[in-house]
Amino acid sequence: MYQYNDIDQTLINERVEEFRDQTQRFINGELTEEQFRPLRLMNGLYIQTHAPMLRVNIPYGLLSSKQLRMMGHIANKYDKDYGHFTTRQNIQYNWPKLEQVPDILADLASVQMHAIQSSGNCIRNITCDPLAGVSADEIEDPRPYCEIIRQWATLHPEFSYLPRKFKFAVSGSPKDRAATQVHDIGLHVKKDAEGRIGFEVLVGGGLGRTPVIGQVIAPFVAEEDILSYSEAILRTYNLFGRRDNKYKARIKILVKETGLDKFKAQVDAEWETIKNGPLKLSPEAIQRVKAQFTPFAYQAPASTNAVSSPEHNSGPFRQWLKQNTIEHKQVGYRVVFLSLKSPTQAPGDITTEQMNIVADLADQFSFAQIRTTHDQNLALTDVLESDLFPLWQQLSKAQLATANIGTITDMICCPGLDFCSLANASSIDIAQGITDRFTDSAIDTGNISLKMSGCMNGCGHHSIGEIGILGVDKKGEQWYQLTLGGADSHDSRLGDRLGKAIAKADVVDAIDDIVHVYKEQRTTNETFANTYQRIGIQPFKDKVYDNH
Amino acid sequence: MTIIKDKSIIDDAWHAHQDNESLVDNSIVNLSYWLENRDSLKTCQQALGLLVDGDADIHSFKDDLSCFAIIAINIPDFVDGRAYSLCRLIRNQYNFTGEIRAVGDVLPDQALYLTRVGFDTLKLENDESAQLAINKLNDYSVRYQID
Repeated sequence: MYQYNDIDQTLINERVEEFRDQTQRFINGELTEEQFRPLRLMNGLYIQTHAPMLRVNIPYGLLSSKQLRMMGHIANKYDKDYGHFTTRQNIQYNWPKLEQVPDILADLASVQMHAIQSSGNCIRNITCDPLAGVSADEIEDPRPYCEIIRQWATLHPEFSYLPRKFKFAVSGSPKDRAATQVHDIGLHVKKDAEGRIGFEVLVGGGLGRTPVIGQVIAPFVAEEDILSYSEAILRTYNLFGRRDNKYKARIKILVKETGLDKFKAQVDAEWETIKNGPLKLSPEAIQRVKAQFTPFAYQAPASTNAVSSPEHNSGPFRQWLKQNTIEHKQVGYRVVFLSLKSPTQAPGDITTEQMNIVADLADQFSFAQIRTTHDQNLALTDVLESDLFPLWQQLSKAQLATANIGTITDMICCPGLDFCSLANASSIDIAQGITDRFTDSAIDTGNISLKMSGCMNGCGHHSIGEIGILGVDKKGEQWYQLTLGGADSHDSRLGDRLGKAIAKADVVDAIDDIVHVYKEQRTTNETFANTYQRIGIQPFKDKVYDNH
Repeated sequence: MTIIKDKSIIDDAWHAHQDNESLVDNSIVNLSYWLENRDSLKTCQQALGLLVDGDADIHSFKDDLSCFAIIAINIPDFVDGRAYSLCRLIRNQYNFTGEIRAVGDVLPDQALYLTRVGFDTLKLENDESAQLAINKLNDYSVRYQID
């Protein structure tokens, strides 16, 4: 993985000191709340319901075991012994003290991590496919490009006061595991007829109040031009994006109001003037970063039947193996997902103790690296098949082997009203209700993506869940709007509204009704999405609203 | 108000022209005044500056840039980042070689980014904030971007 050089390290150290000074001036009353707000947000610090919330970047979802131990150390020293992984592959701490945040940042810097631009109206963490580098269908590892974009975007002098936040996601495979279609810029690695690497560029996707699927603005931008092309998009957005209404300030609204063709013409005109300037990447510059993402020294498998001895015939192990691991491009290895959706924890939450255990297991079994996923889970991506059984045993002890990856209890969920000052409704207790109801039947039900947000800002990506749940406030009471049929894979789709909002007490029953209709109507092995497409929304509507 | 340039406080050689007063040397006129009186102003002998808002349409004055010794860009609110891109366009695409000045709601914490995108001078609220801005220019010894 990418290792900081002197410049990288100096830059984040200097950022820590800059933020320390800003925090101190705010505490001393030399900066007003209004002035401090964008400055602290640009460094990931929110003021939340109970305490500040600090969001720490995990660039493209890749962590070393040393970094994960530091995450655990921070949770222990400055927080309540746990952290929360987000859909954009970052980690959040919900209980730090404002005056301690500079010290947290200094601790992070000591392991090459930071919170730069993890919030605010600037370019956010660059996310990517959690299976980058290990999936068989990959055209090219997207992580070096993510790192190149990360460096260009970090402390960018021109793009730090944008109309609104700006998110990049990059996928190196035809199958999109990074939700690129719902990002401000989504990049798909492509190869042209001559085998040159480039990107299909999508623009204007996003969730939130006005969910929009991104559109292709350029079918192929060569790798050497990706920074200049991105800069042209950002400059056009910075100049023309709306600033009169924060709900209309994202690039998706600019693209919609301008029209894709005209917007593209503006971007192309800008690009023409900078394309051959200093942003053009030399093959050496790309290679320097690529050299830090070389494949691991994989062993030849000892036997072809690594998980077939009698001790492996444990039902729970078999179930876990089937549900929580997938194939690796290297014969003899598998990718292992660590579910952070156990019945005893809020979705995406992890304790200090678990972080330390995962770090140890990564050292022991997976080349000392850990990935964070868009679904708020972790992955050890390079595990020898013969190590799967001992790994499973240890994960089980740590409550990290819940065999529910991809099922209805593996839901995406924001922190909701319990922590977030934006939320209209709670999500964690609904998640708990769903977990309690479906834990025993989840695998039998088959894979269903359930995504839940506590307000229309949509941090829980409800719009693209096969089942989406959106918390709304109705005269001070918490109600929930359900949607069906959303998708977040390579063919993203926004869910359809089921009907009027449902009272909190009835939400879990309503989900049960929806699952019931699916199980009743599905043909053999038919997915939820296909059943929904075939039978439409009406049978679900009838069942849910007739019962309530 | 205090002007800084090259990490020092400097005297302001420029006068903010008001629409109803007669033109003196080293006046900065606003864009609407310029557009209304362009023909006569182009023949005047005085050194002139132009004041534009951060959201100004560059096409309305790009052909006139050579008439000015200074372009002042007004930032209505420090979170409004349009001035940064406008400055880049004036400097890099339209090759303006005179002084570009940031005026309006400028935070000392923004001094580094403003100078990096091409502003030569910054107008701060008072000497104290100007001094702080100068200190802030020294916050970083490295950068990722080639400015």
